[in-house]
Amino acid sequence: MSDTGTDARATTTAPPEPPQAPPRPTPRRGAQWWVRKALWLALFLVLLALPLYLEAQWLKAGQYMMVGAVGAIGLTLLTGQAGQLSLAHAFFLLAGATSYTVLSGPTGDPELVGFGLDPLLALLGAVAITAVLGLAFAPVAARLRGIYLGVASLALVFLGLYLGQSAESLTGGTSTGRPPATFELFGFPFSNDGDLEIAGVPIRETERVWYLFLALVVIAFLLARGAVRGRIGRAWRAVRDNEASAAVMGVNVPTVKAGVFAVSSAYAGLAGVMTVLWFDILKPDESEFGTYGINVSIAYLAMIIIGGLGSVPGALVGALLVNGLPQVLALYSTQLGWSTGTGEGAFTPILISSFVYGAAIILVVLFEPGGLAAIGRRIGQRLTFTRRGKE
Amino acid sequence: MTTAELRVREVTLRFGGLYALDDVSFTVAPGALHALIGPNGAGKSSCFNVISGLYRASAGSVTFGEHELTAYRPNRRARLGVGRAFQNAALSPHSTVLDNVMLGRYALTRGGFLACGLRLPWTRREERRHAARAAEICDFLGIGAALHTPVGGLPYGAVKRVDIARALAVEPSLLLLDEPAAGMNAAETAELAGTIRDVRDELGISILLVEHDMGLVMDIADRVTVLDFGRVIADGTPAEVQADPEVVKAYLGTDNTESTEAG
Ligand SMILES: Nc1ncnc2c1ncn2[C@@H]1O[C@H](COP(=O)(O)OP(=O)(O)O)[C@@H](O)[C@H]1O
Ligand SMILES: [Mg+2]
Repeated sequence: MSDTGTDARATTTAPPEPPQAPPRPTPRRGAQWWVRKALWLALFLVLLALPLYLEAQWLKAGQYMMVGAVGAIGLTLLTGQAGQLSLAHAFFLLAGATSYTVLSGPTGDPELVGFGLDPLLALLGAVAITAVLGLAFAPVAARLRGIYLGVASLALVFLGLYLGQSAESLTGGTSTGRPPATFELFGFPFSNDGDLEIAGVPIRETERVWYLFLALVVIAFLLARGAVRGRIGRAWRAVRDNEASAAVMGVNVPTVKAGVFAVSSAYAGLAGVMTVLWFDILKPDESEFGTYGINVSIAYLAMIIIGGLGSVPGALVGALLVNGLPQVLALYSTQLGWSTGTGEGAFTPILISSFVYGAAIILVVLFEPGGLAAIGRRIGQRLTFTRRGKE
Repeated sequence: MTTAELRVREVTLRFGGLYALDDVSFTVAPGALHALIGPNGAGKSSCFNVISGLYRASAGSVTFGEHELTAYRPNRRARLGVGRAFQNAALSPHSTVLDNVMLGRYALTRGGFLACGLRLPWTRREERRHAARAAEICDFLGIGAALHTPVGGLPYGAVKRVDIARALAVEPSLLLLDEPAAGMNAAETAELAGTIRDVRDELGISILLVEHDMGLVMDIADRVTVLDFGRVIADGTPAEVQADPEVVKAYLGTDNTESTEAG
């Protein structure tokens, strides 16, 4: 990052070190702090226990929300915190999905490239590769702003569409696709192999993948929160709000922009790995609408706008709505037996939920541009009568 | 504390055919409270932008101590001890006062995405130490009580002080203040004048001040440089400059020049 040069200060102008004065009490950990911690813990425990109670199809739906959560956190850092509009998120999802499948794929296949790496290494490799791809986009990001950057980044989605179809030795092509390697952690498979039970409930593939995804979401969430609250988060917001003053305060603006693109792409890459594990197949899209298409880039933007631009918890809630709604509607429609039909013009769950989140975006933009995060903050303040501005 | 001399030498800045700065030279002595004045559009903010690196001069040099500032990118100049408050307080309105002021510590601290994200012990220790210093600076500027308030909710005068606090958080040895009293009433201006003098006296740093309020300038400046149409037309003590016929002409002619310029 921009912090390599340790000391360019003139000897004549050495500033006083920050005095070792007694650090004054940082904002008190009042009741609100503890309540908040307790709520997060309770949520985490519920999520841990859910596989013991929910049927596999509901767990599958929950997993899809978690995929969205990881991707949305990445995008809210880039677009919400650092102010860089990106429509390329779907491209980085595809890049992550493909990288994982290729890195962990079997070697020796005459038609498909595979490196036979351990799945954990393949996952980390996929995250690293997408981070580098994000960096490669940085020179463009450094020159464009706002809507122009958004449109330029959209080009990557079309590039992904083309590459996904033409690089069949990597992706398997649109007709058959290519299965990813089952994820394994130090030899423990995230499949139905081996007997594992908790409280009499068999922990099979769906439950195992639930826990894997939950762990990934927690890591993604904590890293993002820490970053937002720390030095790098301040640099992001400074670049977003005023590049000139950010530079004068010592922020290397191009480097910070490139860095946040890398971070955001890495998150998208991880979400891509999760996507391919969730579908259990890597299948490039046939048109610009699909698993890695424009619709996905827009869905991620919808998540972060509904959640509140820049808010990490907001991104979670946005993902819950945008990725969860079609899943839940689909489950209900089969259970309740409303036959929704298929084909052109049919009211599919996806179509209905598109309307719902479309309406949600309009409501947010009109009535609460801060999104659900701002509403949540307001409720929190109303409950405690204390004010603690943050982020 | 020791500070260095700022030497602006024969700086020219062109925008197309317009000379925003035309062969400008002046020197800010170490520890001086130096004012840069002139009618609207005279090139004062442009001069600040050249010193802080946001504009690249077409010709000329700016040295600070033994450093040729023009050789450094703007973010490196913060590390050399140049702090700046903006004419239109360029802060993050949704962030708290502390968060804004802490941005000034950027060059003095370390840590990228992973170090911050993992909340490593040394990162958190460093964060606490620098937050304490930032709070101290806010106290000094009289905004200590608003530390955890979002800047967007503060009155205008307080916002200007947050901007100054952020510039001071860089621990500068040269502070650039661009119209800090603009939009303030007489009482606020007088209070601010006291604060600026305190900053100079207690921190022993040089201050280069752009200001429209002549009362304030003549009251606190040790030395004044006058710009008009990008050229230095006078340079001296407040008393000398006030008596200078060129200066009087420039200021009396302000109305004409401004209306022609606006057209
Ligand atoms: N980025 C720019 N592009 C074109 N012209 C500029 C730019 N910045 C300043 N100028 C011009 O330079 C002149 C000096 O402006 P400025 O430095 O802002 O004056 P002051 O701060 O003394 O009021 C003005 O005529 C202004 O229009
Ligand atoms: Mg100006």
